[in-house]
Amino acid sequence: MDPQLTSLIVSERETRLIEDCLERLVDDTGANYSMLLDKSGQVVAAQGDTARQDITALGALLAGTFASSREVARLLKEKDFRVLFQQGIKENIFTELIGEQWMLVVMFDKRTHIGLVKVLAKRATDELTSILDTVRQQSRAKDAVISSSFRTSMEDTIDLLFKD
Amino acid sequence: MALINVAAKEIHCKIVYYGPGLGGKTTNLKYIHATVPKQAKGELLSIATETERTLFFDFLPLDLGSVHGFQTVFHLYTVPGQVLYERTRVAVLNGADGVVFVADSQRHKLEEDVRSLQELARNVTAQGKRFLDFPLVMQYNKRDMDNALPVQIMDQYLNTIRVPRFEAVASRGLGVFDTLKTISKMVINKL
Repeated sequence: MDPQLTSLIVSERETRLIEDCLERLVDDTGANYSMLLDKSGQVVAAQGDTARQDITALGALLAGTFASSREVARLLKEKDFRVLFQQGIKENIFTELIGEQWMLVVMFDKRTHIGLVKVLAKRATDELTSILDTVRQQSRAKDAVISSSFRTSMEDTIDLLFKD
Repeated sequence: MALINVAAKEIHCKIVYYGPGLGGKTTNLKYIHATVPKQAKGELLSIATETERTLFFDFLPLDLGSVHGFQTVFHLYTVPGQVLYERTRVAVLNGADGVVFVADSQRHKLEEDVRSLQELARNVTAQGKRFLDFPLVMQYNKRDMDNALPVQIMDQYLNTIRVPRFEAVASRGLGVFDTLKTISKMVINKL
C-alpha cells in the first residue's frame, strides 16, 4: 500500500489492458469469471460471467479471507501465502496475490483443470504487475480528477440520501 | 485508498467503524441499512459468532448513484471490537479512506474507549499515514444510558485533537446519519 496515495486512478487505457488480460485468462482456462481486487476489498475489474454473483460482496469477503491467511502466515513465521484455493462441489476459487496490493481471482467449475488455472494465472499476474505499476505511477503523477463542483454535488447527494 | 475507475466512471471509498466491543458499530450499520432507500443499499453482510458478536467484519455497500456521470459507492465496514482481535482490526482497516470511532459513553467503558482510540492511532500510523490528517469522526454512543459520562469529560479524554464529534443513540438512529454524512464528506474532500 502506498501511504502517500489517497486515490488510485485507473485510466481507460489501463482498464482496457486489465480487462483484456482477465478476458484472455477466462477464455484460455474456460473459467466462469475472473476479477482483479484491491487488497482493501474493492473490485478493480472483472470479466466473464460476473452476473451470477454479487461481486462487490465477494470482493470484500475474499479480501478478508486473504487478510486472515496473512495473519496465519505471520503466526507460522511465513512471509505470506501467495496463493489460496477454495474447493467447492460446484465451483472453485483460485486467488493469487499480485505484488503486495492486489489479488487475482479466478472462479471455475469442474470443466476446468486447476493445473491450467495455476499456470495461466501466473502468466496473467506477471502481465498485470506491469500494468498496475503504471497505474500506481500515474495515480501519483496525476492531479485530482475530481473537480470542486463534483465535490459540491456529492455533498448535496450525501445530504439528500443519508437521512432518517 | 479510494479507487477511481475512469473507464467505468466509478469511485469507491472505504469507511471503517472502529471502537471498543459492544459499543454499537454494527448497530450503526444496521440502522443505516434499514433506513437508506432500497436503490442505494447493497446487502448487509456480517461475519459474526453465533451470539452475534462481530467475528471478522460487517460490510455494507452504499451506492450514491450517478453524480456528474460518476457512480460513487461507499463501502462501510465494522471491525470486531474485542481486545483479542487486534490483528483482525488491522486487516479490515487496510486501505480505509476514513474512520468513525464509536465510543461507548458509559462511565465504566471510558478506559476501553481510550485504549481502542490509542490502538487506532497506532494502526493508522503503521499504514504510513499521519493520524492527525486522517479523516476521522467521533461518535459518543449510548447517550441514553443513566451512567453516560458528560460530553465534556469524554472530549477531554477522547477528542483532544478536535475532530467532528456527535452524540448518538445508535439503537434509535440518533446521530447515526449526522456521523455518516460528516465522514462521507470528509472522505470526498480528500479525493
